[in-house]
Amino acid sequence: MKIMEKRSVALITGCSTGIGFEASLALARSGYRVFATLRNYKKAGALREASKGLPVEILSLDVDKPLVAKKTVSTIIRKAGRIDVLINNAGWGSFGALEEFTDEEIKAQYETNVFGLMRMTQAVLPVMRAQKGGRILHIGSLAGRMTFAGTGLYCSSKYAVEAFTEAMRTEVRPFNIEVTVIEPGSTNTAFKNNRHLSDKFLKGRSEYQGVLEKILAHGNHQSQKAPGAGQVVDAILKALDSRRMAVRYTAGFDAAWYPVIRWFLPDTFYDWILKCLYRRFAS
Amino acid sequence: MPVPEVRIMTPGNQRQVALVTGASSGFGLETARLLAEKGYRVYATYRNPKKLTDLKALVDSFDVHPIPMEVTKTPSVDKAVKEIIKKEGRIDILVNNAGFAMAGFLEDLSDQDFKDQFDTNVFGYLRVIRAVVPVMRQRKAGKIVILGSISGRVAFPALGAYVASKFAVKALCDCLRQELRPYGIGVTEIVPGSYHTQVAASSRYGKNVRSPESPYRDYTRQMEELIAKESAKGGHPSEVAGIIWKALNDSPMKMVYFAGLDAKGMAFLKWFLPDFVFEGILKLIIPWSRFPRTDPKF
Repeated sequence: MKIMEKRSVALITGCSTGIGFEASLALARSGYRVFATLRNYKKAGALREASKGLPVEILSLDVDKPLVAKKTVSTIIRKAGRIDVLINNAGWGSFGALEEFTDEEIKAQYETNVFGLMRMTQAVLPVMRAQKGGRILHIGSLAGRMTFAGTGLYCSSKYAVEAFTEAMRTEVRPFNIEVTVIEPGSTNTAFKNNRHLSDKFLKGRSEYQGVLEKILAHGNHQSQKAPGAGQVVDAILKALDSRRMAVRYTAGFDAAWYPVIRWFLPDTFYDWILKCLYRRFAS
Repeated sequence: MPVPEVRIMTPGNQRQVALVTGASSGFGLETARLLAEKGYRVYATYRNPKKLTDLKALVDSFDVHPIPMEVTKTPSVDKAVKEIIKKEGRIDILVNNAGFAMAGFLEDLSDQDFKDQFDTNVFGYLRVIRAVVPVMRQRKAGKIVILGSISGRVAFPALGAYVASKFAVKALCDCLRQELRPYGIGVTEIVPGSYHTQVAASSRYGKNVRSPESPYRDYTRQMEELIAKESAKGGHPSEVAGIIWKALNDSPMKMVYFAGLDAKGMAFLKWFLPDFVFEGILKLIIPWSRFPRTDPKF
């Protein structure tokens, strides 16, 4: 897509902060007409400020709501006539012991990370099929490849995203639509502010209270040390610049290498390492 | 090596209790039968009272107790588990098996289709675990066997929703294993390949899959033929019950047990080969991906 007769159009969800924010600016700078959507329109100020002079339009869109995705897509079609790139970025993390999540907490996590992502994708696919081409980028996570205690619910939603990517690649190939998943590792974004903690843990009645506290503190510490959303944007641009998108693009040292290390280790040894790690958190 | 016949009776001379969900057919039925043969008291849950014939046949000769359970409804799960705990005071083994497959290309599925699929295959597992783990924790013992699928390793097209739910199940297993280990509760995942079960018969089609307007209608037909051909090759589900029994006798249980050569082979290839090579192989198998792209210069 290096040679563009007409300006390519990108639709990015979850743009109020972090990866979505940086990606919409970067894509606009590299020549895309960007439609940046965010759930809470009141938070649009920062993006509006930063995108002055760039072809970025801000729309309000809550991926949790059915029908809204289709409406947004038709708005964009009316304005720009096409959608070449969809970046499914809207998402958040829910943390706690798997056993202690309520039905509502489980459903809320999946509503955005899994069902919301699929709603956006389904809304855009007919457009891409009609224009005989397009690219869909899901923002997955290292959590889609590996799990650790306390992150089970979030990880399972990201595992599902990996599955959607791999299955859909084969399904839409005849229509010249490409799908990929971007896997960031620890990234210093507002992710930690937007996360949800299981109700039982917050009330201090969790069976896992001590361990969870330490695991969450460790996660926070990791992400504070980690590089910002820039590395993820680089991975997105790399995917968009490639002639054929690969199945996955990783962003960050941990995302690139942890799965490789896991790949090498026999199950029993890997399991033993996790056991030791968990013990360290529990002590 | 002969399978050690342990755990039939505990010191208190009380029978060990197993809970098997989705036991009216397939893996659940065979597992319930095997566990009962080995001397467990088996509580076998079912959803549809009309499909009880096979399970009823077990009741006559074994210590098997069918109970109704709708895994998509929390009160139904809680009620069934409470009933067992009231009667037995313990659950030693949980076999999380209840599930179904949603067939159809991802674009053809409706919002509700996705939700139904995850509600049973993922949230359903969690509901049962949430109800059972407290009683296992009290006794500091217990084993949880979770039925995954080769679809949790390899993402087959035309089964996108099912595949995603089984990928999610894999994450649940890996995570639960770590979280429950300190309480003496073992968790393992069983990964069967294709078997002669009712999963094909009880699979559902997404909303637009049968619609003549679906852009995928030709591919759906090709895929159906392929799946029918593959599943005809599958083994008998009692093989999987045997592997579950083997897992239960391992101490500690391994992270994962594969059932069937196809599952082992595909999981190995997926692990061993780089993504693009594996996709290349899928392309050879799946008819429509050999079609030329509509607009190669895009």
